[in-house]
This record gives sequence, C-alpha cells and structure tokens, in this order.
Amino acid sequence: MLLKDISLKGYRNYEKAVVTFSKNINVFLGENAQGKTNMMESIYVLAMARSHRTANDKELIGWEQDFAKVSGNVITEKTSYPLEIVLSKKGKKARLNHLEQKKLSTYIGHLNVILFAPEDLALVKGSPSVRRKFLDMEMGQMSAIYLYHLVEYQKILKQRNVYLKQNRKNKKIDKTYLSILNEQLAAEGAEVLAERFSFVKRLEKWAQPIHADISQEKEELILDYASSITLQSKKDKDMIMKNLLEHYEKNERREMEQGTTLTGPHRDDIKFFVNGKNVQTYGSQGQQRTTALSVKLAEIELMKEMTGEYPVLLLDDVLSELDDDRQTHLLKSIQDKVQTFLTTTSLDGVKKELLHDPRIFTVINGQIEMESE
Amino acid sequence: MHYPEPIAQLMESYMKLPGIGEKTAARLAFYTVNMQEEDVTRFAKSLISVKRDLQYCSICGNMTQNDPCDICEDKNRDQSVILVVEHTKDVISMEKMQDYKGLYHVLHGVLSPIEGTGPEDINIPVLIKRLQKDEVKEVIIATNATAEGEATAMYLSRLIKPSGIKVTRLAHGLSVGSDIEYADEVTLLKAVEGRREM
Repeated sequence: MLLKDISLKGYRNYEKAVVTFSKNINVFLGENAQGKTNMMESIYVLAMARSHRTANDKELIGWEQDFAKVSGNVITEKTSYPLEIVLSKKGKKARLNHLEQKKLSTYIGHLNVILFAPEDLALVKGSPSVRRKFLDMEMGQMSAIYLYHLVEYQKILKQRNVYLKQNRKNKKIDKTYLSILNEQLAAEGAEVLAERFSFVKRLEKWAQPIHADISQEKEELILDYASSITLQSKKDKDMIMKNLLEHYEKNERREMEQGTTLTGPHRDDIKFFVNGKNVQTYGSQGQQRTTALSVKLAEIELMKEMTGEYPVLLLDDVLSELDDDRQTHLLKSIQDKVQTFLTTTSLDGVKKELLHDPRIFTVINGQIEMESE
Repeated sequence: MHYPEPIAQLMESYMKLPGIGEKTAARLAFYTVNMQEEDVTRFAKSLISVKRDLQYCSICGNMTQNDPCDICEDKNRDQSVILVVEHTKDVISMEKMQDYKGLYHVLHGVLSPIEGTGPEDINIPVLIKRLQKDEVKEVIIATNATAEGEATAMYLSRLIKPSGIKVTRLAHGLSVGSDIEYADEVTLLKAVEGRREM
C-alpha cells in the first residue's frame, strides 16, 4: 500500500502544501517546531480520520482558518483511490473516492498506517492500560467484529459497575438482574478475550524471529497475555465464559463492597519475557527498546498477513532514540517493501548507505520542499 | 423593546417544547395572533385534551383515552399471547403490521442502572400479575436489540419461565429486501448466528 501524494490546506501551520512521495523512504528534515511532526500527523489523520496527538479536531485547523483539508491518493496492488478529510468547526467529513462516508467505520482501513513514536517505548515500560489500548487500537483497525464486542463489553461493564454501587447507597440488589448482567458481560468478555489471545499469539510468532535477529540470536522473546482470571482453556469461548462467571461469583461480596468489577479483559495485561525474565521489571533500557521495536515490526508483518497489503510506516523521531545496530535492523527490514516516512533534525546519525534512494524534504516554518538529489 | 405581556407568556409556553428557542417562539407567537379564532380555540382545546383525556391503560400500560384500552377490551383478539414492548410508539409500529392479533404490554423503559431504572421502576410488576390471572400461553419479548433491551428481555424470561408460559424473542439479522453486500459485519454475524433450518 502506498500514499502517492498528499495535499494540505489550512492544516496546523501549513497554509497550503502539495507533496509527492517516493514509494520507498521519505525523510522530513528540519529544525524543531517547523512542522515535521505536523506533516506526519496529517498522514495519520488521512488514514484514521483523527489525530494521534489530540482528541480535539479543532486543534488541527490552522490559525485564522475556517477549515482544514487533507487529501491524498492511495495506490494498492489492485487499485487506487483518493481519500479526503475535511475538518471544520462544525465537524468532519471523510470522503473515499470523492464519496462522503457517513460512518467512519466504512472509511477507516483504506490507508493502513503503523506509527512508531518515542512514546511507543512506553509500550514495554508503561502501565497495563497502555498495552490494553495498543491491543484494542490495532485489533480494532483490522476487525470490525472485535470493535463491536469491545464496545458492547464496555457498555455492559459500566451498567454493572453502577448497579454494584447501588449496594452502597443501601438500595437492594436484585440477584436475578445481577446474574443477567454477569451473563451478558461474560459473553462479550469471552469474545474479547478469545480474540486477544489469538492476536497476541500471532504477534509473538512474528516478533520472535525479529527479536532474535536484532539481538544476534542471544535473546528469546516471549509474549504472554496475562489475564486477571485463571483460565482452563484459552480457545474455547464457552469455557472462558464459564471461567468469567465463576470469578464474578467468587468475588461477589468484594465487588459489591467496592462497587466495581474486579476481573475481566478491562484488567488484563501483556507481559514480555526475554530469556525467561520479565523485561518490564528486569530488562535493561536496551532490551526494553529492542522489545518495543520487535513488537512494532511484527505488527507490520501481521497487518500484511491479515489485510494482504503492507501498511505505511510512520517513524516520528525514533531514529535518534535507537542505537546503530537497531537503526540498521529497522531500516533493513523495511527496505524495498514498506513505504516509510520519518522525521529527523539531522541525517548525521543515520548511516547513509541504509537510506536506499531516500526522498528528502526540508521543512521550514510551514513550508515543505523537496531537496534536489 | 418589551414584548406585550400576552405574547411574552405565550412565548414562554412555546419555549417549553423541545427544539424551540426564543426566536422561533416569537415567530410562532406572532403567527398565533393572526390565526383564525376557531383554529386557536381548537388548538387550545386539544392541548388540554391530551393532558386530561389521555391516560395509561391500567392493564397493559398503553396510552389510551379509555381505561382499559381498546386493544385490551377487544374480545376478538387472541387473549393467550402478550407482546412486550418498550414504548407506546412500538405498539403503533406493531399495529401497522396488521398481522399480530394478540395483546400488548408496554414497559415504559428498559433496565439501565446508569439511568437509574431498576426492575421496580418499569411496568414489570403489573405484567407479572397479569400472567397470574389470565389465560396467557406465550409472551413475545420485543424490546430493542441493544444491550439494555437484551438484558431486560433476559430478565423477563427468567421471571416468567418458571410459571411454564412460553417466552419468545424477536429475531435479529438482515432487514427484509436488503442486499447482503451492504450489510455491516455485525448484522451479518447476528444473521448467521440466528440462521434456521429449511
């Protein structure tokens, strides 16, 4: 999958910009606060119809502008089509093939992107909620059914937690109704859990060889979906549902006291082990970085496996965070197959011979220009 | 400039209706001044009438002019089936179908702790009493296909089943006359789950 070009109007600090990209590596070069990340963000917005940096779309509209427009042409193996996002104070419009898409779910998925930013190192170091969000984002991009079960799960969870809190307000709890909420929650929870188990397994399958390669066969990476419930079977949805129900029953008194649901996918985590040791607690900085990198690179391959096309890769300021070996590995593994965009303040730290046929753009104060080769 | 007192009062009343702000209220009020007297009288009467003459049927909870309502009173209808819906609007939709000949029961809501509605806040106790007295053989639950509607349906079936009355639920899936091509993934999933043998 390729993004052939992009044009911006009234987007952040770009009044107007039209850029044609290379199918290999595109470098946005410039000093700080000139608009490198804004350019990168606009590609993400074109793909996902929202920004990864802010939940408020209005921030994307440039100073003294009425609306912001991002449009571009996508080329896949079989076909090509234009995408367009228009953000105004009233809301946003997403157009695929010049046709407005009423539901964003019919728009998203026509340009698959994977973003790797310095914050992604938190995938290993950060709190479990970061990893749960990572799972939900990536899986939601690939499966509408997963997204449906997840949203239903969250809705029922909210109802159940409010209902449990009634106990503290000295209102009676209807056991029949509670048992129905339990069943509904367990049914959706089982769908979410089963999907997550299989996703983590598939991710591990791709991440293992990558990690071994970066560490020169010295390290073995294992990914483990750590559930808050003990499970007899990780595949059989009925068994997972039974396990969930048993946990609700066992914790009933405590859950009523605390007014919240104590077990289930909303309390789960992924654990990363290198040579049998938990990287989050015992790993070195370097091991944590290698792990985050392996998982991100595995995602590229997994997306290709699931959608049939390589996604577009966005590397925001990450080269400077990686040492020579890891840089080499990253750039080698994407070369000639994944269209890549990267931002950097200088090319000094990057090995020239690795950037095979790069197209370099200089970014100065909201203006972008292609550097002559 | 101030509005004359009667206009201001009328505007205040109009503004109590949903979706009407000051500008619209002023336009409606001035329009009312120029309306035919008999139209205005009928308007005023019907406003009072919906409040005074309408009530909820003490048997099924449907909105009605006479208590019990026409449907409950109609002896030609099948007294052995009750269709349970969330709102009065749903009874009207079902009646448009012109194929259902049984009775109704209106819940006036669904179970939703977030909105503070528990089992005793909707029209469930009356339904249970009805089932004890009448010759009911089947209860069809037609709450909406949302998580809350589903929970309410399950709750009712749990209450009713021990009495031996048959409990059924409306089907989910493809809408009639639609193309599979345009159905979303979740609808298709439900349609496959709810498939039947032919």
